[in-house]
Amino acid sequence: MWQFLARSLEAAAIFTFAGLGELVDQRGGILNVGIEGVMLFGATLGFIAAQNSNSYLVGLVAALLIGLLLGLLHGFFSITLGVDQVVSGMGIWIAGLGLTTYIGNPYTGPLGMERIQTIGGLSPFFYLGVVLVVALWFLLFKTSLGLKIRSVGENPSVAEVSGISVTAIRYGCVAFGGMMAGFAGAVYSLYYNPVWNYNFLMGWGFIALALVFFSMWNPIILQAGALLFGILWQLSLNPQLVLPGLLSRYVWRMVPFAITLLVLILISTRWFRTRWGAAKPEALGRPYLKE
Amino acid sequence: MQQQPPVSTDKGPLPSLEELLADVKPGETVLEMRGVTKRFADVVANDRIDFDLRAGEIHAVLGENGAGKTTLMNILFRLLHPDEGEIYIRGHRVHLRSPVDAINLGIGMVHQHRKLVAAHTVIENIVLGHPKAGRVLNLKRAEEEVKALSERYGFKVDLRARVWQLSEGEKQAVEILKALYRGARILILDEPTTALTPLETERLLESMVNMARQGLAVVPFITHKLPMVLAVSDRVTVLRGGQVVAQLNTRDADEQLLARLMVGREVLFDIQRPQVEPGPIVLQVEHLSALNDKGVPALENVSFSIRQGEILGIAGVSGNGQRELAEVLAGMRPARNGRIRFDGRDITHAPIRERWRLGIGYIPAERTEVGSIGDFTLVENVLLNFYFDDELVKRGVLDYRRARELTRHLIDEYGIAAPGEDARGRQLSGGNLQKVILARVLARHPRLLLAALPTQGLDIGATEFVRKKILEAKTQGSAVLLISEDLDEVLMLSDRIAAIYEGRIMGIVPAEKARREQIGAMIAGISEEASS
Repeated sequence: MWQFLARSLEAAAIFTFAGLGELVDQRGGILNVGIEGVMLFGATLGFIAAQNSNSYLVGLVAALLIGLLLGLLHGFFSITLGVDQVVSGMGIWIAGLGLTTYIGNPYTGPLGMERIQTIGGLSPFFYLGVVLVVALWFLLFKTSLGLKIRSVGENPSVAEVSGISVTAIRYGCVAFGGMMAGFAGAVYSLYYNPVWNYNFLMGWGFIALALVFFSMWNPIILQAGALLFGILWQLSLNPQLVLPGLLSRYVWRMVPFAITLLVLILISTRWFRTRWGAAKPEALGRPYLKE
Repeated sequence: MQQQPPVSTDKGPLPSLEELLADVKPGETVLEMRGVTKRFADVVANDRIDFDLRAGEIHAVLGENGAGKTTLMNILFRLLHPDEGEIYIRGHRVHLRSPVDAINLGIGMVHQHRKLVAAHTVIENIVLGHPKAGRVLNLKRAEEEVKALSERYGFKVDLRARVWQLSEGEKQAVEILKALYRGARILILDEPTTALTPLETERLLESMVNMARQGLAVVPFITHKLPMVLAVSDRVTVLRGGQVVAQLNTRDADEQLLARLMVGREVLFDIQRPQVEPGPIVLQVEHLSALNDKGVPALENVSFSIRQGEILGIAGVSGNGQRELAEVLAGMRPARNGRIRFDGRDITHAPIRERWRLGIGYIPAERTEVGSIGDFTLVENVLLNFYFDDELVKRGVLDYRRARELTRHLIDEYGIAAPGEDARGRQLSGGNLQKVILARVLARHPRLLLAALPTQGLDIGATEFVRKKILEAKTQGSAVLLISEDLDEVLMLSDRIAAIYEGRIMGIVPAEKARREQIGAMIAGISEEASS
């Protein structure tokens, strides 16, 4: 049972990292639907770098760097060129899926390194996640920079006349978002499930993306959502641990996605939509181009 | 917060604002613009304009749409770069690089379209981008400072409220406070009274005088609210066609003179309301309710009727359900409760096209979003109201020849300034586009005309024209529902006036008995019984 809970919390940490990055992205008004792709890149290149250097640190740094690069790429398309952000994000996802399969194929198999030391039965990543949640909550709601980020996401022209560089803030957000997604991917492939396989993420990035919407762009709620989905995910992998013999595991594996659909239906209700609409960054997904 | 490099002048970097304005006496010139010229493609928006500001004065800039006043003020605030011309502050020539430079020099601007983050609190909006904000926000200290400012100049705003909860007047106060908190000594106000109730307008004018008394220079720039100019300003600069046509002391001016300077010809202020014997009831609305886009009730239990040959004016401040009312009547928004009868027939759930066929003509408030299609030619735009008529469609095929004739005829009759009937909608100015929309609706001789904000944003000439045409429709036997945020317009045109507040009709008053103050109180939510 403890094992089950610990694994759930580890899974939750991965959702938290990817989700926090996307949350900051979106608070700044940029939608990156391609975080699955960024995570795949981070996971694959992190895996390769770690295996070749026999160092987790090198692996994690590689993941952060590729995440940064892809975040900036998405930023270039959506901020500088002002193209449709969904199209750019989808492009990054498809590129991630294809390229990582091609690059990672020779590395198929286990990582073959010593496990990362745990602290109190949990990896350092889980604690890092919790610290980041609190830090980002403080940053977004209690600091000047946070106010600037939120303003840029709500109404960039207001931010501009208040003397804030919309472009700089948005680039900062996408850079952070990309790094977090890359890092989340590496935590998956280096710690949570250290085996490289074709499309091993199976939609974790998309779940993180959905979590951001459910969280009403609040890191604390995001953390709660990540825990819920971490448990659900774990349940879908080993249902026999908790509910032995009940339903096939293929049914359980569907559960997180079914819950996602349920939540989507829930948030489409009028009651929720008014509250949700108030929290949603108003300029989300809209390029800011000056004439 | 990084330190902004100082603004450069021809004599080296400019001293700090405090030093610069330390010993200013009221009446002294603080700012000068000399020979400012700005061209957009082949249009000269500002033609060698000279303009100056004195400490402690309220200096109105007056002009019609397109006269160049917005351009001039945007240059002063450095949203636009002038092609030629110089700006001097207390004799120092300054080169502004961005609005941030202007702000640092003590120039603040309050835009007509609110520049506030609706989801944030008032205080968050005020400290946004403020150099003193610090890394970790100290909102308590900021609140105290802003409170002191509001008391000094007589503003009342709840600093913890979210901006979307505020009225237009309060939002404006927030913008002014934000500018003052940033240290503005020169305050530019863009059409400051447009969305305000009469009461809020009065309060704003008081605050403006208050600010000027304490050494600030205040520059409201305005289209046609002449009474306001006369009430508070010390000096007026009148622009026409991008040039200064007059600069005078307000005490030497009157309404007629200013209007003539602004328009370039005599203007009729009082339109004679023709008396028409009202006919049978055309539109009967009973207990109508509807929701707005956010799912919140926007109309509640609205009842009224309009007779043939009668204009019912709906007076109200923006966002009190007028838009939803027009949309429900036009068929674009479902009614939640209640009934709409047209010539006795229940049309509550009738589709939009059927309503057009029955004789309802709709002039939407959003003339470029809903009223017309910018990429369509004028012929096609006219066809939008005729494509379902047997006269112009033969077995599903449009009769372009006749549509073209009709459009050409309308262009002549309404004096629409357009290159031709094949011009695109977006090539036309707001006034001319509105004429096209009006013309195509009136060409159907509607039994009921729904006119939502028909003159909003139009200059004096076009406004006069649209008003005349609405009265003409009435004399020709249309029933007219006039929705307007301009109280004077409602009083001028309507036979009966209904005041709307938060989706409810506060009372319906016949024009002969309507007093401006009474209607003004009703649209601010004070019920008829209480006010009389």
